[in-house]
Amino acid sequence: MLIRWKLSLCCMASIVFIAAANAAAIENQECMECHNDSSLTRQESEGMRQELYLDYEKFKYSVHNVNGIGCTDCHTAIDSLDYDKEMPHSVALAAPRCYDCHEVEGEAYRNSVHFKAASKGVSIPCYACHGYHYVTRLEGNNVLERENHFCLKCHDPGKFHDWLPQKETHFAHVECTVCHAPDAPRHINLTFFNLMNNKYLSTKELLAGLNTTLDRFMTVVDGDHNGIIDVQELEDMVLLLRQKGIRGTFHGELLSEVEPVVHHVNRGKAKRQCETCHMPTSPFFESVAIMLDRGDGTLQHNLVERNVLATYYVNHFYALSGTRVRVLDMVGIIMVLAGIGIVALHLSFRIVASLSGKGRRGRSTKHSGH
Amino acid sequence: MAHAKSIYIHPAPVRVWHWLNAFFCVVLIVTGLQLRFAEVFTFLALEDAVKLHNYAGFSLIANYGLWVAFYFGTGRIRIYFPDPRTFVPMAIKQIRYYTMGIFRQEPNPHQITAENKFNVLQKQAYISIMFLFLPAQMITGLFLWRIKNFDQYITLLGGIKIVDTFHVLIYYFFASFILVHAYLATLGHSPLAHYKAMFTGYEEAHK
Repeated sequence: MLIRWKLSLCCMASIVFIAAANAAAIENQECMECHNDSSLTRQESEGMRQELYLDYEKFKYSVHNVNGIGCTDCHTAIDSLDYDKEMPHSVALAAPRCYDCHEVEGEAYRNSVHFKAASKGVSIPCYACHGYHYVTRLEGNNVLERENHFCLKCHDPGKFHDWLPQKETHFAHVECTVCHAPDAPRHINLTFFNLMNNKYLSTKELLAGLNTTLDRFMTVVDGDHNGIIDVQELEDMVLLLRQKGIRGTFHGELLSEVEPVVHHVNRGKAKRQCETCHMPTSPFFESVAIMLDRGDGTLQHNLVERNVLATYYVNHFYALSGTRVRVLDMVGIIMVLAGIGIVALHLSFRIVASLSGKGRRGRSTKHSGH
Repeated sequence: MAHAKSIYIHPAPVRVWHWLNAFFCVVLIVTGLQLRFAEVFTFLALEDAVKLHNYAGFSLIANYGLWVAFYFGTGRIRIYFPDPRTFVPMAIKQIRYYTMGIFRQEPNPHQITAENKFNVLQKQAYISIMFLFLPAQMITGLFLWRIKNFDQYITLLGGIKIVDTFHVLIYYFFASFILVHAYLATLGHSPLAHYKAMFTGYEEAHK
């Protein structure tokens, strides 16, 4: 009897505790009761109005919401909502401290011109670049998407790269941080461009073309199973796609890896030596991959040998000198050597003919002298 | 004994065009070498090599304009066109001369005149160069100078590597041609006769 009573007391206590905990945690939907109003704004002291509306449909797919991070996990100053008041929470809220969770990124950011700008009175918080609520995974974004979401929000690269030959081409195929955050590792991402409809082949279309699945992609493509796609294997892959009526070529982009060190953008530290990239031995071409979308925003890196870049299968990515087609140089050397050979041969015959002519003339003069 | 007669063969605009063309070609070949083999040659920084290559390329294009203006403006362009009726026998004679006759001190079957300064082989070579290889090199060079601006044309031609392939192969052709051309220019009545003529304008015609 005593045991049963104790058990009941314990259950009741648990229920009360869970109910209390639920009451304390503020659900996203509670916030959205007010913040789904698109006209909701706040009057800033400078006379500016700050929008307080949140598009939940977009927020739903943000990396934070996907990982179960709710509104008050970042807006920690709000620990309760008082619905009796016109404003259920305090108006003046401290800015979210991203580096409480993103410690390594926060530390890396300290070594950047953007952080150091604070000493000149310009504060550039994380969300100035990353945005507020709709942060998604960057890995799958191409150069233009990455630049548009970040650097181009504030910078106009066209104004500062007059020294750079082919600057527009560089902007289109090389992510800013490749040169401006030289500490960050980088890779070449190869994407198949379908010439039949002038569109990039999506992961789904590529896998359908090869009649395989994401898990079996390397098993199908990497014939020798050494974990890296070589020139022959890439050629076979292109032929397989051609059999399915998909004709095209690979386009390439030079991207930074999404790692904390990519924040290390500093004044005067950008690479300005063309030779860094435009060399066949450049470390910038060490990592080449075909990235396939797993469907959850993450990518599967499928390694490709770097000498693939120097073939006609990667027809729209060419770094002068760096990824040149070597066989052309063999043809060129033969052409130049042939020219030198013709000259040398003809000159030799001329010299021999001239000497023998002189000999004949000499002999005939001597003979007539007699 | 054969006597020499001076004939005015190369008018001033042609001489100016020729030497400028030669100079720009050499600059383009040398800088091209640096651009293509950055891991082998280091006589120029790539950034400077690109600039020099671009300046020389545009100067060559402008100089080509001088050639077009002179030859088409004066109607002398016809000296580049071989007579199709006599082309084959004349070509055989000329090849026979270059490969055999010249070593036996036989006379050149082509008699140089102001109206007919090129032999058939020269006509064939120069017409290919001036109407095919040089324009192709200038156009591909222009495309490679601003890839983004000419993106549509580059795609139409099959991509950046295809355009580059044409440019590089013609580059090697010109590198080889210049060597052979400089040598063939020593085949006058004296080794420096044609060189002198290209400065003075006067060529000595031996009868």
